[in-house]
Amino acid sequence: MQPHEIEAIHRNHLRRMAKQRCLVVATQLALFLLFIGIWEGLARANAINVLIFSYPSKMWQLFWSMILDGSLLPHVAITVGETVVGFLLGTLLGTLLATLIWWSPFLSRVLEPYLVVGNSMPKVALGPVFIVGLGPGLVSVIAMGCAISVIITTIVIYTSFKEVNPNYVKVVQTLGANKRQTFTMVILPATIPTILSTLKVNVGLSWVGVIVGEFLVSQKGLGYLIIYGFQVFNFTLMKVMKIPALLVRAGVPSR
Amino acid sequence: MNQLLSEPAKIELRHVTHLYVTTTRAFMAVKDINLRVAEGEFICLVGPSGCGKTTLLSLIAGLEKPTAGKILIDGRPVEGTSRQVGYMLQQDFLFNWRTIEENIFLGLDIQGIRSRETEAYALHLLEEMELADVRKAYPAQLSGGMRQRVALVRTLACQPDILLLDEPFSALDYQTKLKLEDLIFSTLRRHKKTAVLVTHDLSESIAMGDRVYILARNPGRIRSEVAVPPAIRDALPFEARNRPGFHELFHQVWKEMEVVTDAAT
Repeated sequence: MQPHEIEAIHRNHLRRMAKQRCLVVATQLALFLLFIGIWEGLARANAINVLIFSYPSKMWQLFWSMILDGSLLPHVAITVGETVVGFLLGTLLGTLLATLIWWSPFLSRVLEPYLVVGNSMPKVALGPVFIVGLGPGLVSVIAMGCAISVIITTIVIYTSFKEVNPNYVKVVQTLGANKRQTFTMVILPATIPTILSTLKVNVGLSWVGVIVGEFLVSQKGLGYLIIYGFQVFNFTLMKVMKIPALLVRAGVPSR
Repeated sequence: MNQLLSEPAKIELRHVTHLYVTTTRAFMAVKDINLRVAEGEFICLVGPSGCGKTTLLSLIAGLEKPTAGKILIDGRPVEGTSRQVGYMLQQDFLFNWRTIEENIFLGLDIQGIRSRETEAYALHLLEEMELADVRKAYPAQLSGGMRQRVALVRTLACQPDILLLDEPFSALDYQTKLKLEDLIFSTLRRHKKTAVLVTHDLSESIAMGDRVYILARNPGRIRSEVAVPPAIRDALPFEARNRPGFHELFHQVWKEMEVVTDAAT
């Protein structure tokens, strides 16, 4: 077989792969358009209650007008900002806690049941506590975004610390490493991939936490707008708010 | 002259007994082990699985403290791990997130002795292993044999006098294994290291070692000791297998192993 033949086979393979990718994207797009189309059609034909379900073209109008008059973007910015701070705090605290537990096997055994209980507790229920403790405002919302992710982060990262192959630890121990070196040279670098993937999950969790927090206290943000829409029975507004909520969430790579 | 005679052995185990304690029981891994290894000597430990070979290495390395008895290196009791002792595991366990170069500098980093000279020495060893061209590569790009050679460099880079080898060839294919045996054998000879090799492979133990200890299990103890004649022990391991007397020796060790294995089952 000639080199150019081998190359041709490889090229063919690439072309097939590209075609397949196109097909997937096209089908996804078609499904979306179909969904929007049916929704719009049903609303126009009065087959669904327009007050409750609203419909795409009306939502788009509202969305566009809110962008133009500048009343939407500040809310989006606030929510995104709160989420970023909340999830960074959550991840940082969770990683620190996991490190602490790893360091002391005694502490890990003491805290284990508390972590399990803490994780199964509905974090959203802490909302009122935060509001009373930290005041109704930004800090409470951020605390919400942080609280919702911190315990699960601790558990996931501590578990991955423990799952590092003990032979790697043995390697550095035979080279004379102390506990701190074992942690910084083996445990932490070996779990970086896990920490990164928890980051991605945490963005989603904090996003939910922040919006719920805004439901409860805020005067700004997407969560506030959703609740406001509900209070004035403007379901179109409620639904419109889910567009940036979805877009921002979808912007976070999930893998 | 007298002083020379009373010079302490490189490694000496005196009545070493070690227990592992679990929630269900206390289990005796090795019992009353006595052995001496002279400087520059290469000894092998063979025996059925569960005879405490790896335990002995961990004890000599200072990873664990013996329950009873003494372990001396150069006449001084072992207290924790030391630079003097290098350890090689069954698999290479190179760090995937470090380049080959950074992997072989690992020990230097840990011991805080990384400098231009020690780096140069490590790179020189890498060159000796014919791996100079992969120093910027990552472990995933290397074959099993190459990786194990890198692991050897990582261990030797800290310039230990004693090398503990825990079945370092068992995860390799046969051809690679034979080549690596020769390479490690000659490298250790050239650098005048004292070595303790744990293996399952009887012919490997005779081909590489100056002396072979056969261990029995439950609890782990030394059953017998076989000295390898100069004609075999001075040859490279691959060569040694064809030397006259090798097969007789192999059968002798084989018989000892049979006794040990039967007794345990």
